[in-house]
Formats: sequence, structure tokens, C-alpha cells
Amino acid sequence: MMDDFEQQIKAALAKKEPSPFFEARVLGAAKRQARDRRASARMWWASAIAAALLVTTGSAWQYEREAHEQAAGREAKARLELALKITSVKLQKISQKVEGI
Amino acid sequence: MEDQVENSEPRTFASVLRAQQSMVFSIAYHFLRDRSAAEEVAQDVFLQLHRRFDDLKSDMHISFWLRKVASHRSIDYARKRKLQPSVGLDDAPPPSVDDQPRDHFLHRRLQSLIGSLPEKPRMVMVLRYQEDLMPEEIASLLDMPVRTVKSHLQRSLAMMREKIDRSMGDVR
Amino acid sequence: MKFALSVLCAVLPLAAQDVKMPVGLDKLGAKASEVVDVSLDGALLQLAGRFLSEKDPDEANVKRLVGGLKGVYVKSFEFEDRDQYKESDVEELRAQLRGPAWARIVSARSKKDGENSEIYLKTDAGQISGLVIIVAEPKELTVVNIVGFIRPEDIRDLGGHWGIPKVDIAPVKPGKNDKKEDEK
Repeated sequence: MMDDFEQQIKAALAKKEPSPFFEARVLGAAKRQARDRRASARMWWASAIAAALLVTTGSAWQYEREAHEQAAGREAKARLELALKITSVKLQKISQKVEGI
Repeated sequence: MEDQVENSEPRTFASVLRAQQSMVFSIAYHFLRDRSAAEEVAQDVFLQLHRRFDDLKSDMHISFWLRKVASHRSIDYARKRKLQPSVGLDDAPPPSVDDQPRDHFLHRRLQSLIGSLPEKPRMVMVLRYQEDLMPEEIASLLDMPVRTVKSHLQRSLAMMREKIDRSMGDVR
Repeated sequence: MKFALSVLCAVLPLAAQDVKMPVGLDKLGAKASEVVDVSLDGALLQLAGRFLSEKDPDEANVKRLVGGLKGVYVKSFEFEDRDQYKESDVEELRAQLRGPAWARIVSARSKKDGENSEIYLKTDAGQISGLVIIVAEPKELTVVNIVGFIRPEDIRDLGGHWGIPKVDIAPVKPGKNDKKEDEK
């Protein structure tokens, strides 16, 4: 049971609405994100198959390769960030447990 | 207690966004006290949800996941941008004469005091009083022991009561 | 040709990983409510490194840390309920870490919380050449395998930088059932 003071805090922290265009912005960004991921996956497979067949470089291939590398590099960086985040948090907790005993 | 998508509506990303945007935005807003920063964090949370949407199996799981990610993202954002200088519980400045709150400014004063808390106690307070979560749920969301959550709550409430009492008399 | 080579490396992600993740671990994905599975071999790490900015101090530090690595592999499973994985799933991994090249440098076990955290280091001619972290909790299992030269404290100290949270847990007073071994 909350006392009167806590009820006041609850009222002060009543939920707020984001701006009226928030929902539309997020839906638009989500669509672009999905499209970019599909394009990245398509480019990745197209490049992998072409490389396995040892296709020689031409101007169109060069463009596709660079676009693929950009997308692949961003994806690799994001995955690295996730991996290091998980690892660092776990190590911090282990370290604090060990130091706290 | 749980915010749920209406039963009549199939669970799509758009329907979850519509149902939960207020909750996610409010966690970020009450923590960061900056509307545009809160929208930026909330958008990131929902874009992350969009990437993971097929992995989340139930409304309850989605709510838990959104609260967890919104909390962590808000804390990360604050640390990165240093929007809110972290002030120790004993260090928050006393209200000046000009800040003498009247009844209708009490909420603003409470929001300001919560905003002056260090990051972890601040998020604990937001989750407790905005989301009505119990200490065990907050502990699970923030990956901290339950006793730490309770300690944060006790100390934060004590500090806030004392400061409010000093400035406007007994409001309890 | 260089690009073709790097693509071939990318489709052989396990080549650099000399510690094999047990088959049982992959099956846990079906029971988990959340799964993180990151596999970055040397080629992908180099690629990621090219997208880390030298001008940003945090990114430059990460770039330096991962520069000598041959692989980063993380599997993390979160479960709704307890006891969703077996000790034998993890024991199969631990068995690989009992060889002469590996040393368990930290083991922190809490019977009360049901948690067991271990850090293993691999050395080769006196140099660190691998790191494995196993964190087994009632509702979460995380395994990290890093191949190459890395010191655990370098990754630990990333907390508070580059969007990585700085964890701040309350000091834990030891209960009767808590056991800590600093074995090195």
C-alpha cells in the first residue's frame, strides 16, 4: 500500500504521450530498416556466390561490392558492439562479486 | 497490471507500437527529463523491437522486454550524453527561497528531485512509481539484487521526503 | 582476390574457434525466451575494425583491443523458467578447458543465488591467446569465447564507454553458501 507521498510521486510520474508524429516516424524508420536489411542480405549472397565463382571485377561489380562492404561492415560493427557489451557486463559483475567477498 | 494489446487486435508491430509507445516514452522521459531525447530513445527501442519481433512470443514477454530495453537504453543515453549530472543522494542542493513549491508545483518539484538522483536509483523510482512494478520485477529488469532495489527506494524516498518537508512543510 | 578470400573466411566462421561449442548449447535456443548468438571470425573483426573511428576515443580503444583478435564468439540464452539447461551441457565445454594450455583464473559460485561464474585463460609461450567466460545462472546461460590476445580487465573496463553499461551492484556480504576461488 502506498502512502499519500508515494501517491503524489505516482501522480507526478503519470505517463506522457510522445509527439503526435512519433508513431508515423517509427513505422517509417522500421520499414526503411527492414528494406535495408533485405537489400543487405541480397547483396551479401549475391557477392558471396559471385566470389565463389571467381567473377572478375567490372564497374557494376565494383559498385555492388562497395555497397555490400558498407552494409556488411556496419552489421559487423553492431555485432561486435553487442558481443563486447555482453562480455563487459558479465566481467564487471564477476569482478565486483569477487572483490566484494 | 500489464499493459496489453487489445485482445481483438492481432499482434502486429504497429499495434504493439500504438499500445506501448506511451509506456516506453514515459520511462525515457521521466528518466532523462528531455522530450526529444526521450523520443530518440523510444524510437531506438521500437526499432530494436522490430528487429526482434518474431522472437517475442507473448504480450507479457513484449512488455517485459520493452521495459527492460527502455530502462537500459535510457541509462546508456544519459551516460553517453551526460544530460543529467549525477548527484549523490546527500548532495542534491536544498531548494532556494524562490523554489518554494506550492501545492500545484509539487509534481514538478518531485519530478525534479527524481531527476537529481543518480542513474540507478532514478530508474528504480521511475519503474516503481510510473510502472507500478514490485522490487522483484525491477531487480529482474535492471539485473540488480532485490535488496539493492529496496535500498535505492528507501533512500530515495527518505531524501525526497526530507527535501519536500524542508521546503513546504509536512505533505505526508 | 582479397575480397573473395575474405568472403570465404566469413562463410567458415568456426575456423578460428579452437574451443567447440557443445551441440547441446545450440539446442537451448528452442527453449530460450531470448537468444544472442554472435560469431565474428578474424575477417569480420577486421571488417568491423575498419568501421571504428580513430577520431572517437572509445572506438579507437575498441579498435586497438580487437586488432589482434582472431575470433569473438558469444552465446547467451535467457529463459522464462529455471532449470531449462543441464549441467552436462556446460560440462562438455568445461572438459575442453582442462587441457594444459588453459587455466581457470576465477571461479565465483553462489549456492544461494544458484550462480556459477568462471573465467579461463589460454596461454601460448607465456602469452594470453584465448579467453573463455562461462556464466551459469538459474534463468540465463552465457558463454563467451575470445581467440587471440586480450586481457579480461580490458573488456571489463569498457563499461561506461561506447554505449556499454557500467554495472554497479551493491556490495554483497558473503553468505554461508558463497564460495570464491581466485585460483591464480
